[in-house]
Amino acid sequence: MRALILRRLFTAIPTLLLVLLASFALMRFAPGGPFDGERPLAPETRAALEAAYGLNLPMGEQFALFLRRTLTGDFGPSLVYRDFTVTQLIADSLPVSLTLGGLAILLALVLGLAAGTLAALRPGSWADETLMLGATLVTALPSFVTGPLLALVFGLWLGLLPVGGLGDSLISAPQFWVMPVIALALPVAGAIAKLARAGLAAALAQEHIRTARARGLSTGAIVLRHALRPALVPVVSYLGPAAAGLLTGAVVIETVFALPGLGRYFVQGALNRDYPLIMAVILLYAALIIAFNLLADLIYGWLDPRSRA
Amino acid sequence: MSLYRLESLSVAIGGRVLVRDVSLEIAPGECVALAGASGSGKSLTSLSPFGLSAGRIGGSAVLDGKELAGLDEAALRAVRRDTVGFVFQQPLTALTPHLTSAQHLAECAMQAGGPRPDRAALGDMLDAVGLADPLTKLKRYPHQLSGGERQRLMIACAIAHGPRLLIADEPVSALDAHLRGEIMALLTRLRRETGMGLLLVSHDLASLEHHADRVLVMQEGHVVEAGAAQMIAHAPQHAYSQALWAATPNLKSALPDDLPQPGAALVEARGLTVRFPGSGLFAKPMTAVDGVDLMVRAGEAVALIGGSGSGKSTIGRGIAGLGPVSAGTVLWRGEPLSAKRTRDQRRLIQPVFQDPLASLDPRWRVSDIIAEPLVHLRPDLTSWGRAGLVKKALQLVDLDGALADRLPTALSGGQAQRVAIARALVAEPEMLVLDEATSALDPLVGAQIVALLKRLQRDQGIAMLVITHDLALAAQFCHRALVLDAGRIVEQGSIADLVNHPQAAMTQRLVAAS
Repeated sequence: MRALILRRLFTAIPTLLLVLLASFALMRFAPGGPFDGERPLAPETRAALEAAYGLNLPMGEQFALFLRRTLTGDFGPSLVYRDFTVTQLIADSLPVSLTLGGLAILLALVLGLAAGTLAALRPGSWADETLMLGATLVTALPSFVTGPLLALVFGLWLGLLPVGGLGDSLISAPQFWVMPVIALALPVAGAIAKLARAGLAAALAQEHIRTARARGLSTGAIVLRHALRPALVPVVSYLGPAAAGLLTGAVVIETVFALPGLGRYFVQGALNRDYPLIMAVILLYAALIIAFNLLADLIYGWLDPRSRA
Repeated sequence: MSLYRLESLSVAIGGRVLVRDVSLEIAPGECVALAGASGSGKSLTSLSPFGLSAGRIGGSAVLDGKELAGLDEAALRAVRRDTVGFVFQQPLTALTPHLTSAQHLAECAMQAGGPRPDRAALGDMLDAVGLADPLTKLKRYPHQLSGGERQRLMIACAIAHGPRLLIADEPVSALDAHLRGEIMALLTRLRRETGMGLLLVSHDLASLEHHADRVLVMQEGHVVEAGAAQMIAHAPQHAYSQALWAATPNLKSALPDDLPQPGAALVEARGLTVRFPGSGLFAKPMTAVDGVDLMVRAGEAVALIGGSGSGKSTIGRGIAGLGPVSAGTVLWRGEPLSAKRTRDQRRLIQPVFQDPLASLDPRWRVSDIIAEPLVHLRPDLTSWGRAGLVKKALQLVDLDGALADRLPTALSGGQAQRVAIARALVAEPEMLVLDEATSALDPLVGAQIVALLKRLQRDQGIAMLVITHDLALAAQFCHRALVLDAGRIVEQGSIADLVNHPQAAMTQRLVAAS
């Protein structure tokens, strides 16, 4: 297991470099730049700005400069939000996205696993049919439909929950989190429910389940001790990469519920050619993807000891 | 006083009566065996009264004074939990892969309300079933144990809660010949020590004489003969029991003297060595096959005999060009075969594997399965030409042409193995590598496959490398045998010499087990 972790950390470095190089090249070769606004700047102003941000240097040198800065954790000032450094922007917005994504993953796991287990235990029953229909429905509905719908019903009509924004701090007003978390979690919960149902149905047909039944164990003990772990393998395969996306900002949900998360920087950074910001966000996303895939592999080893190399 | 009594038991699934009118009685400490070919209803008979099959029972099944017929699932669950233990055929799949030996044993010891056992108690439980070094084995997962160790763990689990009755469904048929005897002896010792009754389901008739008190022979859902094990072993009355006994390979029957004369050397391996990388970052490679020399002549059948893990399948794969070879050469009629075989070289040696259902693609029709080698190995053929050869191959293995459109799941075990042999034969190879090709089949079907192989040997002159753990099987149609232990050949010679004057310890064990 230690060998697996070391090997993965070792291969993570060239992977991250490739990702950064590719996104750097894509950003730079795409038309437009950070200082192309509605009003064209005076050529001297533009030249001065480009010199100030090092954009007049040769491309190779710019990339080397970016890498050097990345190593020190300093991504430099944002080209668009000029009063802030990129590190500040991320430090302010990342906790919001992490909270939103983390809560959504937890909720999706609880709902998805419960629904999948109930359905798998009574295949073909009305509970199975209803739960799986619901799972298909919430997976199919995009969050820009469920988000506003929730806001309309519970925020505007019933007046139960705030339609957007955040309290003074992350935890001061939990009611602000309810709707965004639900809207973000529902499609994930639907996918988990379907995967868990299929995985559990396959696990329950295994021979070792017959042995467990032969010991007179209760259904609960059979599912929890003998069937659930192998059934979770497909769920983990799906959730590993998905979690990285959920944690680094759900653009739509953050926009609908006016949450100051990382997602909007993702979009605005790309649209505004805010090179330092978008590179930092991409680096964070890629690192999380790698970390979650490693985590998923470690969990496989726990779910099924036979898969440990 | 009887511990367990079946009276006119019947089992029906979906209105079809599959078992009828079975009566038996087991006293404490006694062993009663149900024998018969697969599909004879012996597993249904043993499992259905406890709610472990899809079948509904009729008649009466009384355990320890308690009628089981008519009990609901919750009550049957309590019976299984408190008074019965079960041992199944395949310990690898019947144990939960993500639980260690200790976790399995603890769960079983507590299932009937016992206290949580400590490490020493768990170790004692493994010790009682003859597992060496029990305290280290406690931390192991099932896949880290050998086949024999797994079955011992399974037995330890089944008796952990002190059941009054143990039901063992083919407990040894997935094991090597010499392990079978050990596990059967263990079961006999345990029931004598604890006084529990044993209901044994088996098609390994040879061992019943020593390990069962009474035997019921079943055919097509009913009992055709019942009596003391000694009686049935020495003087079976019913024609079916006699056929069942005759089909069980044993070394007491005379060796065949009508084997065809072998020709010139066909395939020859010199210094064949196979190493696998060890697990872990800096682990030493594991040598599975260590400098093996062997030769098979045209038309000759050579047996490669050894226990599980002896390297016999690895040798077979190396010779067939299906597995890695680390060192040494394989020659075909004196010419070396390269590691990457040409199309024609691949055609010459064709494999047949143990489990036909696992080696046939369940989504392909029989005709497509048999035709597939032709697509790759005989690109000169038109689809008409392929169809003709497929038909010929089906005839060669005695299969009805009507089966060509079926899927493998719609075939019986014997039919599926015939399809696997037809697939191997269709490209007209000169040699077959048979890797335990009959050991997943029951004795009657296995005997039919052996008869088919003998006919192919005689009529087609096909050479065979027969990989098996069963010396008695090899004795039926092999010219010579090589005995393997831990990747090396420890003894070789004619079957008669090996049987009558075994030299190596491994050979002696194999002879004793047959």
